[in-house]
Amino acid sequence: MNVENPPAAPATKPKKVVSANPADRYSNAGNTPDPWDECARLEYGADRSFAWSVREQVIATPPEGRERVEEKLLNALAASGRTDAGLAFICQMLAMVASAKSVPALTPLLRADKTADSARYTLERIAGPEADTAFRDALGALTGTAKAGLIGSIGVRGDKAATSALTALKDASAEPAIVREAATRALERISLSKA
Amino acid sequence: MNSPLPLTRRQFLQHSAVTTAVVAAPLILPSGLRGQNAPSKKITVGIVGCGNIADGHYGPLLGSPESIRVVAVCDVDRVRRDSAAARVNKEYGNADCKTYGDFRELNRRTDIDVVFICTPDHWHALIAIDAMRNGKDVYVEKPLTLTIAEGRALVDTARKYNRVAQHGTQHRSMKRFHDVAEFVRNNGLGKLERIDCFIPPNNRHCGATWQPEPVPANLDWEMWLGPAPWRPYNSKGCHYNFRFISESAYGQVTNWGAHYLDIGQWALGMDDSGPVSVEGHGEFPSSGLFTNCTNVNFTVRYANGVPMHCRTRFEGGGTARFVGERGWLDIARDKMSASDNNLLREMQAPNKKVQLELSNNHHDNFFACVRSRQRPIADVGLGHRTTTVCNLGQIGMVLGRKLQWDPVNEAFVNDDVANRLRTRAMRSPWSLA
Repeated sequence: MNVENPPAAPATKPKKVVSANPADRYSNAGNTPDPWDECARLEYGADRSFAWSVREQVIATPPEGRERVEEKLLNALAASGRTDAGLAFICQMLAMVASAKSVPALTPLLRADKTADSARYTLERIAGPEADTAFRDALGALTGTAKAGLIGSIGVRGDKAATSALTALKDASAEPAIVREAATRALERISLSKA
Repeated sequence: MNSPLPLTRRQFLQHSAVTTAVVAAPLILPSGLRGQNAPSKKITVGIVGCGNIADGHYGPLLGSPESIRVVAVCDVDRVRRDSAAARVNKEYGNADCKTYGDFRELNRRTDIDVVFICTPDHWHALIAIDAMRNGKDVYVEKPLTLTIAEGRALVDTARKYNRVAQHGTQHRSMKRFHDVAEFVRNNGLGKLERIDCFIPPNNRHCGATWQPEPVPANLDWEMWLGPAPWRPYNSKGCHYNFRFISESAYGQVTNWGAHYLDIGQWALGMDDSGPVSVEGHGEFPSSGLFTNCTNVNFTVRYANGVPMHCRTRFEGGGTARFVGERGWLDIARDKMSASDNNLLREMQAPNKKVQLELSNNHHDNFFACVRSRQRPIADVGLGHRTTTVCNLGQIGMVLGRKLQWDPVNEAFVNDDVANRLRTRAMRSPWSLA
């Protein structure tokens, strides 16, 4: 071996310098928005990529993680600055994963004409007596088309416990035709549903 | 027109002693048929939805004035419904065609026998159900419904009220598709290995954002949305393009899938059933007005092990390829080819063991059944099964995982999220109740 001309050492990559400051290890662009917060402020027509990110997480979450996802969606539902589009989006996501745990948060929304549809997107998919009770209790709070939609949800769910209330609505002359017709249809549907 | 519908048309043909005569002359009626079902009575028609899909119906409907009369048209767009009425009136040389902005008014006319439903997909089920409850027979454009639950409700209504209900999958009335389905059913390809369906590309580019626009004075936007979740009007999200928005449709998965997956169902003898699993990996846009899959790729698998693939073809139209141990057959609207021309010759051989009903005209078949009270070639029962296959593909791609499907109970096995996607709550005041 010629000691005066040793073979060249293999090229090595320069060693990566890791900052001692943990914050430097992530982004130097400042804090990035949290999609779970941003989705509540979704606007019709605006970029919906944050909402999309939430949607992807909701869909990809395995059964054992759905309670956590439901909790995050309920937090988004309670966020300040929530928009109409944000509300509709969150409720559509909850429709896939929500349990009876979501019923208390949705009940006030169900009882307001303006937000009842969004609440129904979720509540109609939640099996069990908690959601049935929320629907029945909202009958006295809604009016007009919102009430007709609520009655339709009760019919689709086949809630036999609502039969007497719907029968009264079917015959109530004070109610508009759209409500009376909805009650008639719902009663027919309930009568055909399994016990 | 309240006669029962005890048999499908296929069953009727199989059991009839005069099968040949009936096939040759579909307007020959059962001997007991009299009165309003008699061939001499004109069948009165109302059309709901006057866009480009309805355009394809005017020729057949207006071309038989001796037996069919279009008496009413309905659209939430005044320009469209007025244009449709003018077209009808011009053909008849009068001004009798009435216009409606609300389908419920048309459906409640007692002098209308049949309603053609040519609206965006999210309206199909509700309008058809309302029409049948009001004693109308219905021709429902494809896809039959937006969701699986809507399809089941529509079929149940047709049965409850004994209505004739045709699904607008006219491939069922094209001899080429009939011949392929029948050939495959008779093991003409030997053991069937797979079916490959290709559908056209989905979304037109629409950008990552969009702006709400003023609703045109001629359009009832609230009624256009109907049961779909509310959103502001934008001209790119209304006529025609609705199919690219998942609140209204599932894009080409249901638009063209309803045709080609339907032929697969027919060839497999699955008209009363369906696959047992689905797995999909579609690509969806993460922003913008359009939300449906831009690159479709899913596979449903049947209990006999045969897979049916469905993919986007970015150039060229829809096709279906049947692959068996003896070779393959390609079928499209305008062409048919095979790995071996002998297969095409064998396809035309008579006296096959399994003989599928043959219809050469989807409208004629429907109106013949309106008079005979038999079930039509594309009865909504099988239309629902085909639309379900489309829905399985959509749900499979949305969830991105393999799903087991129980075609008897029409439910996914052990997947609560997938089962929730079989239906959706409707915007007030609409519902499936």
